[in-house]
Amino acid sequence: MAGDNGKQVSTARETMDTLLEISNLLNTGLDAETLAICVSLCESGVNPEALATVIQELRRESAALKETDSSGGQSKQS
Amino acid sequence: MMNDPRSPPALLKRLCVRVTGLGDDTVQPLFQQALRTLASDLSVQAEADEFQMAEKIKRKLARQGREKDAAVISELHRKLQSQGVLKNRWSCLSLLLCLSDNTSKHRPLPGSHIFASSRGQYATSTPMTHRAGPQQTPAVGGSTIQSGMSTGSSGISSIHSGRSGDPTPVPQSFAPSHLSGTALGQTPYTAGRPTLGQRLALSLNRGGQQSSTSVVPRGSKSVTIASTHRDGEDNVSYEIPEAVLLREMVYVLQGIDGQLIKWDINNAGYRIDDKAGIARAVRQKVTKLAECGWLYTKIRKYADARSSDKAFGLVGQSFCAALHQELTEYYRLIAVLEAQLQQEHDQGVGMGPGGLTLRQLSVWTFDPLSRLKALAALVDVCKGKKGGALATVIHSYLQHGDPFMRALVKHTLTLVAQPIFGIVLRWLHDGELEDTYHEFFVASDPTVKDERLWHDKYSLRKSMIPSFLNMDQARKILLTGKSINFLRQLCQDRTQIKRRDVVRAAETTEAASMFTQDLDGKFQAMIDTVYEETSRHLLEILHTKYKLMDHLKALRRYLLLGQGDFIRHLMDLLEEDLAKPAGTLYLHNLTGVLETAVRATNAQYDDADILKRLDVRLLEVSPGDTGWDVFSLDYHVDGPIRTVFTPECMIMYLRVFNFLWRAKRMEYILAGVWKGQMSNARMFRSLPELAPLLHQCQVICSEMVHFVQQVQYYINFEVLECSWDELLQKVKEAKDLDHIIAAHQVFLDNIITRCLLDEQSRAILTQLRTIFDLIIQFQEIQDRLYQAADDELTARHRAEERAHARSEKGEWGLTDSDEQTEERRKAEFLRNIPSMRAQVRVLAQSYQDMVQKFLLMLAGHADVSLRFLSFRLDFNEYYKAKEPKLRSPLTYQRSKRRT
Repeated sequence: MAGDNGKQVSTARETMDTLLEISNLLNTGLDAETLAICVSLCESGVNPEALATVIQELRRESAALKETDSSGGQSKQS
Repeated sequence: MMNDPRSPPALLKRLCVRVTGLGDDTVQPLFQQALRTLASDLSVQAEADEFQMAEKIKRKLARQGREKDAAVISELHRKLQSQGVLKNRWSCLSLLLCLSDNTSKHRPLPGSHIFASSRGQYATSTPMTHRAGPQQTPAVGGSTIQSGMSTGSSGISSIHSGRSGDPTPVPQSFAPSHLSGTALGQTPYTAGRPTLGQRLALSLNRGGQQSSTSVVPRGSKSVTIASTHRDGEDNVSYEIPEAVLLREMVYVLQGIDGQLIKWDINNAGYRIDDKAGIARAVRQKVTKLAECGWLYTKIRKYADARSSDKAFGLVGQSFCAALHQELTEYYRLIAVLEAQLQQEHDQGVGMGPGGLTLRQLSVWTFDPLSRLKALAALVDVCKGKKGGALATVIHSYLQHGDPFMRALVKHTLTLVAQPIFGIVLRWLHDGELEDTYHEFFVASDPTVKDERLWHDKYSLRKSMIPSFLNMDQARKILLTGKSINFLRQLCQDRTQIKRRDVVRAAETTEAASMFTQDLDGKFQAMIDTVYEETSRHLLEILHTKYKLMDHLKALRRYLLLGQGDFIRHLMDLLEEDLAKPAGTLYLHNLTGVLETAVRATNAQYDDADILKRLDVRLLEVSPGDTGWDVFSLDYHVDGPIRTVFTPECMIMYLRVFNFLWRAKRMEYILAGVWKGQMSNARMFRSLPELAPLLHQCQVICSEMVHFVQQVQYYINFEVLECSWDELLQKVKEAKDLDHIIAAHQVFLDNIITRCLLDEQSRAILTQLRTIFDLIIQFQEIQDRLYQAADDELTARHRAEERAHARSEKGEWGLTDSDEQTEERRKAEFLRNIPSMRAQVRVLAQSYQDMVQKFLLMLAGHADVSLRFLSFRLDFNEYYKAKEPKLRSPLTYQRSKRRT
């Protein structure tokens, strides 16, 4: 069981590595953790394109915030 | 729900936190938004195919020139497949693909972010609190935020650096959020909108091809495209957006020059400005669409030029009208296009996925394009034609297999044929020709006087006969109108044609009936009815009011020597007069004689009108002519009858009369000679020396009599009666005046040919004349002979009587001197006989030669009845025996060869 588990884990890690490589090749800008979350979401059946949109929006938002924050000179920490 | 760290919402929250690097609370609205986004779009995209995904990735890489990476990716993909951990590989791949190259823009539009705008305005349905859940401790969140921020920032900076190479100036967000953002600015957030917008963008993104579509946002005048997958693929930094092209197309389709697409005079086509940044494929599309505009211009030019051309005629004008109609339809399409463009322009994306694109334009203009092509073909072919010729040309295009084209051409043809039909109707029913532009196929010559109205005034203009009317119909139409005019002007007859109802029943009012004649024969029926009625009326008038038949018969009787007794009597009376030299004849004397003849014979019972027209005419006098050569009868015709008996016909009649008169004269002469012979035969029995001479004369006389009799028979029966019978038959059956005129002409031509009066038979005629001259000579000789014989006889008688008387008185009957004179006279007489005999013999010989030659010529003549005449003349082959040539079989073969 443990072996299985271990094997499972290792395959899982391998899969993640592969995915990470692909992601890097495609220059998606996702880091490992984000990628992991995304993969989990995809696995649960979320629409990948919608998800991609969401991520893009989030990125943009954060960039906007960064700008306003930096222009404002104050960075708010919630 | 939130307790489970693996549940999708929790994951999502974590994702938000990670990506944005914000705190848990700040991320809340974003999270909500994301949740909404994801939740609303639940439908699975069409390409759940992992293989497709992989291919797409590889293609993308290949386009970027990173083939090695593509190979690596395939490796990795295979590894993934073998590992079998992931269940939805395709969705991961899809996600990665979408996120690849990180295409979110680094400079957001002010106030147009969905998240930004929704921040603070947004009312959450499920209350969220700061303290979200145990899975995210603020510290962790903070650290994650920090790291997220740092990574985010690095990510963003990398994003920035990545995008700095992008040469696009003011880039605009192409993301669907932008679209929905604008929508959001106006309306409250609805679920459908971003989906649509997203779908729009994603569908365009997914294509992965270069897409040249863009949407011009409201109020913006910038002219760039930012397409998602574009960098470095085309040098399209100054790309012209499709909307501009579309607008230009709308202008071009109407034939107006746009800014980029101008009319090129050299090539006579539309050229796109070379410097404009339009991709080649787009150029081709635009050029193809510009063909519509080219055709349109062409048709418009033609229509305008022709409309202003005053001399173009009604048919041409209707053609232009038809063209204008079609062009108006075309305008409608363009107006619709323009309206749609405007609407899109106003509203952003337009009614559906795709709005108005060049491709859609080419689909919509396909139908009008084929119509315009057809019209342009018609325009080409119709250049320089007008009237019926124009209709002919268009009609030839009706034979097209495509029913659409056929319908179009038929519609045009109907319009075009309308004026022609109108003119035809008017001409048929009223005989009026309103053809100011000379485009109808009946031409009227205004310089022709009334007399020649039938023959010359109206003619067919063959070039203007439309091809859907055949020659027969055209002739019938011409004839009908001519008859009406004839009636009106010459006969002064304006009575309505009877049986008008019959005519009306057959009437058809559609122009189309003219060229659907293979479908229904209405037009033909109409023409036929009108033609029949009109002609019948005309013939009725001619026969009843103008007594055509009577005149015809009168001509036969008098000019063609039909009234035998009258002619004979006339000849009797005129004999002595005509023997005088021609110069001494007086017309009124002769006319008086004519009157006497008329009164004395059956001719007096003829119609007074006809007798009035009979007259004597003296021909031109040449020196040496006797009265016989210049005498002729004449018959006056006037009024509408002159159409049938034209002056040329009358001249022909006179020629025939001349010939017949001469032949008759021969007959008359020979009759006299024979009479003399018979009566004097007994008398000259007492002069036995004369016997052989007399016998010779008798022989010659009978030969000549036979000859002349045969010729007369031939003329009267074979020629005159037969032709006359034919003529009468035809006149009775004639349907219209043309038939009568033709029949009459044929009649005269026949007579002239058979009487050897035409050009070919001139030689034979001369021969015949020579024979006739010989006959006259013979008559003279005969007369002289008889005179001499008579003198001799009387002298002898007187001598005898004297002798007798003297012997009664008791003296010697004959004194010496008497006897001597007697003897001397007798001797002289006897001496004269041989010379006379010689004369007669010479005459006989020449006569026979002439006759033989005549026979030879006859045998070679083309006309059958003349050949038969020669056969009859030589019935007992008397001449054949004498003339070796006649014996040869070649004589009749010669004629065969000629025929």
